[in-house]
Amino acid sequence: MIFLAAAQNPFLQFPGGAKFAIGFLALFHTSVGSLAIGFAFVVTILQLVGYVRRDNQFDRMAKRIQLWHVCIYNIGTINAIGLVFALSGLYPQFWSQIFVQFFWTLIIEEALFFMLALTLTFHYFFWDDLWGHKKLHIFLGALLTPMFFLQFAIINGMSAYMLTPGFSEGQVSQWSGTAGILGWDKLAFYNPTFLMLTLHRAAANFAYAGFIVAAVCGFEIYRAKHEKVLSWNERGGRLSFKIAIISFLSLPIVGFFYAWVLKYHGKEAYENLMIGRGDVVAGGIDWWWVKHLIVATMIGMGLMFCYRAAKYRREFRVPMTAVYALSFVYLMFYVGMGAQMTWKFFWVSLAAAVFGGMLCIHLLNFHEGSGRAVFLLMGILSFFTVILGGYAREASRPRFVSPSGERLKGFNRIADYDNIYRSEERAGNVSMAMLRGDPDYIEEVRGRPQQLTIQPETPEDLISSRCISCHTLQRAFRPQGSEEKWDRVVGRMHAYGTRLTPQEKKIVVQHIWEKEQVEKAIPADPGGMQ
Amino acid sequence: MDLPVIETPVFPRWVWMEEITYSHIPIATLVTAFMLLAPLFEYIGYRWGKPRWDRLSKSLIWFAMILFSPGAALGTGIPMFIIGTYPEFWSRWANLFFWPLIAQFMFFLAEVFFLFFLYYLTWDRWMHRKKLHITMGVCAAFFGYLVQIVWDSLGAYMLTPGGVPLPGVDEPVGWSLAAMLNPSFPFLLIHRTFGNFSYAMMLTGGVMSLRFMGQRRKDPLSENTAYFKWATKTCFTIGFMCFFAMPVIGWFYARVLQEHAPIGFLAMMGGHVTDYLTIKMMLISVFLVIGGTYVVKQNNSKALTAAITLGLLILLVVILRHPPLDYFGGWWRPVSAGIVILFIAWLWLNKGRGDPNRTAWQYAIFIAGLAAFFTFCLGGFIRERMKTPDTVYGEIVKPEWTDVEADRYLVYEKWIHPLYKTPTELDRNRPDSWRVAVQQARQDETVTLTDTEAETIINYLEANH
Repeated sequence: MIFLAAAQNPFLQFPGGAKFAIGFLALFHTSVGSLAIGFAFVVTILQLVGYVRRDNQFDRMAKRIQLWHVCIYNIGTINAIGLVFALSGLYPQFWSQIFVQFFWTLIIEEALFFMLALTLTFHYFFWDDLWGHKKLHIFLGALLTPMFFLQFAIINGMSAYMLTPGFSEGQVSQWSGTAGILGWDKLAFYNPTFLMLTLHRAAANFAYAGFIVAAVCGFEIYRAKHEKVLSWNERGGRLSFKIAIISFLSLPIVGFFYAWVLKYHGKEAYENLMIGRGDVVAGGIDWWWVKHLIVATMIGMGLMFCYRAAKYRREFRVPMTAVYALSFVYLMFYVGMGAQMTWKFFWVSLAAAVFGGMLCIHLLNFHEGSGRAVFLLMGILSFFTVILGGYAREASRPRFVSPSGERLKGFNRIADYDNIYRSEERAGNVSMAMLRGDPDYIEEVRGRPQQLTIQPETPEDLISSRCISCHTLQRAFRPQGSEEKWDRVVGRMHAYGTRLTPQEKKIVVQHIWEKEQVEKAIPADPGGMQ
Repeated sequence: MDLPVIETPVFPRWVWMEEITYSHIPIATLVTAFMLLAPLFEYIGYRWGKPRWDRLSKSLIWFAMILFSPGAALGTGIPMFIIGTYPEFWSRWANLFFWPLIAQFMFFLAEVFFLFFLYYLTWDRWMHRKKLHITMGVCAAFFGYLVQIVWDSLGAYMLTPGGVPLPGVDEPVGWSLAAMLNPSFPFLLIHRTFGNFSYAMMLTGGVMSLRFMGQRRKDPLSENTAYFKWATKTCFTIGFMCFFAMPVIGWFYARVLQEHAPIGFLAMMGGHVTDYLTIKMMLISVFLVIGGTYVVKQNNSKALTAAITLGLLILLVVILRHPPLDYFGGWWRPVSAGIVILFIAWLWLNKGRGDPNRTAWQYAIFIAGLAAFFTFCLGGFIRERMKTPDTVYGEIVKPEWTDVEADRYLVYEKWIHPLYKTPTELDRNRPDSWRVAVQQARQDETVTLTDTEAETIINYLEANH
């Protein structure tokens, strides 16, 4: 009956809406995919430690993690297929159009994906067969990490483009970067946040996987009945935890620059995150805040754990100077966030960190120095940070549907968020340093001293002085056919870094186009005498 | 939505498409066949108390696990490649089958969950809870088969849309029961199911024969040697016997195609795809002769030989009804009947004779397994090529169609279909002048053609026949 009813009523909306469906699938995929990338790294470290120390326990643990890896790898793969299907059905225009820019990158990503699957399969299923060739085996496992990084850099190029299209907003990269190759747009790929997103996610993946491995060790310690198993998991958990905490503490360094780039290239997204509006706030809760409170709790716990571990001089100690230095960066990051958002955020975060630290001490004391509870808790919290981080990044983008969620024709981009929830406790002066277009004072700002002492007086001078720094003038006058095309070419040059004010750009375009028209009117000299 | 079609380097778009697809399909079909058979073998081992069946079952699943990740990774590449190179087709097709695709994704997820977590990882742990373990295997197989059902339905639609049009990109449909239950869907599903069993087990038998030789060299009397000898015989015999269902299902499948995709049917039965079909028949002959002889020698069973005899007789009936063979003339029927009867006699003479465990026989059945594999691949290739230049039969033409393909389609549709049984008759009954023949047919009103169509058909026929 249900099927018949569905057949009568052809198109069914996803429960929760299309946006929810994509969000759910994407976050599910991210949480699994990130774990897979991190697992590859942790497995290599464990194998190396086992090999160097001639300790099979680490190798056994690496094998076990690689088995989880194989299992979750397939879940992630299938989830990606679901995401592709859902995107092509629910957002057909977006999904098809993005292939015009990223087809070849996605094909390369797929090829890498296949090679990864082969390497991973071979590495795990022939573990024992390659026992006599341990170096080769470790090398194979180590290959997974760079391959994963290449693959995920490609996906990051696309994801970062969705948040900061960069020059594409000026309709430049839609055609310029392709250079005659459909499916590859280098300007779109190397968009402003590409590098920051890749670095941030790389460190986050290592941290996430390390915490999850430690969490599983913590879980096994709870279940362990034999002292040997207990000790084995405790050691494995500590090593994974240390890998994770170093990666985790390096995140704000990248995060700061990421936010900086976002501020100028994804202004609305940045504002949405900082002010707490748009989809960042759902159900009356600012999930960006929640994520950072969890992170603050984790910092407190991680810091105390490292402190205690150093105090008792157990193995796999992390230099505390590095931990303190990185924690200071974290503190500065939160100070900056407080200044941008509200100081209330800073104080609550600090309280969360202190709470985390105290909880850690309590849990370590309760378990007589064993990290089992800390491992487990940090694993769970890191999962939530990954989910919430991904959610906040996606939700920060301006909406393309009405606030009530109805589909509207065309883009329907809503630039004005007046009717959307905004938390009242946020700093009132928050918009002071945020740019929405050119600020009023831009004309008053004194320009930096120009290197050129001679100001161009004619359009010819202007073209000569600005264009020949990169190419010959002959190239600058290659016919384009229309003023519109010239406008795009000059726009692209501007995107490449040519210094031109809007007025100068207009002059250049007009002049070149007029020159082209004049040359077109002169008949070609058949003898080539001229 | 006006989307550019992305060009591919080195080879045309369709070659890349087929290569990517054919790299995925054999892996997926092997995994599905193994998943369906493994719980059955495990159950047999459990009921009969024979650990060899359990070992065979576990090794099939182990191999499926190895194949799974690369197969799934290749599977994700297929929609990616289609979206870029066939954007209009994908947008419209995925629009029509949105919910089946989502359902397929969920089945796939459930399959992995049962296969990995509850079947493979629990094999030793649940050694004493066999019933529960087999149930998990059945669940994995069930979801795996559901995935196959969805894909066969969607694939069958591309050849026999059954009157359900492809919707526009901006006409959200979601799913269509009529499109899913299209005319050739049940036949394709059954044909592929038995095809999977048959080729997967014959190929496995072939691979096991190599393992058998390797073990025999190491230690002829070891348990491993005995196991691989048994596994070779068992797998190959199962695969070989499954094959005999194929001609019967195939005959009905072809009938449906004749009715619902007549141009495709003509392409296969005497048209431009016939050569591939002939190669496929030759490959079938290879594994029939080698496999049949091996099976009767190895098993020495009257019942089994009688079953093979029955299967061969059914195959003979199908051969005699095979339209392209008319091309050879009337002598072909008694000759083919004679060959089959002689082969049956050969099988009865060889029953239980000789030593099928000799090295030469092991290589021979490995070759037979490979022949079965290529037969399977060629079957898929023919199914796709027979609808050229369409991507979905009668609904959407592929972007890289050529004039020759379009003209040929017109000739099949407007000239051969109303007048002849097969395209081979164009050469056999060639008139003195195609122009006169076409004009005559138009006057007699046996064909309905516009002037342009008539001219195109005449030019094509004069150039090619």
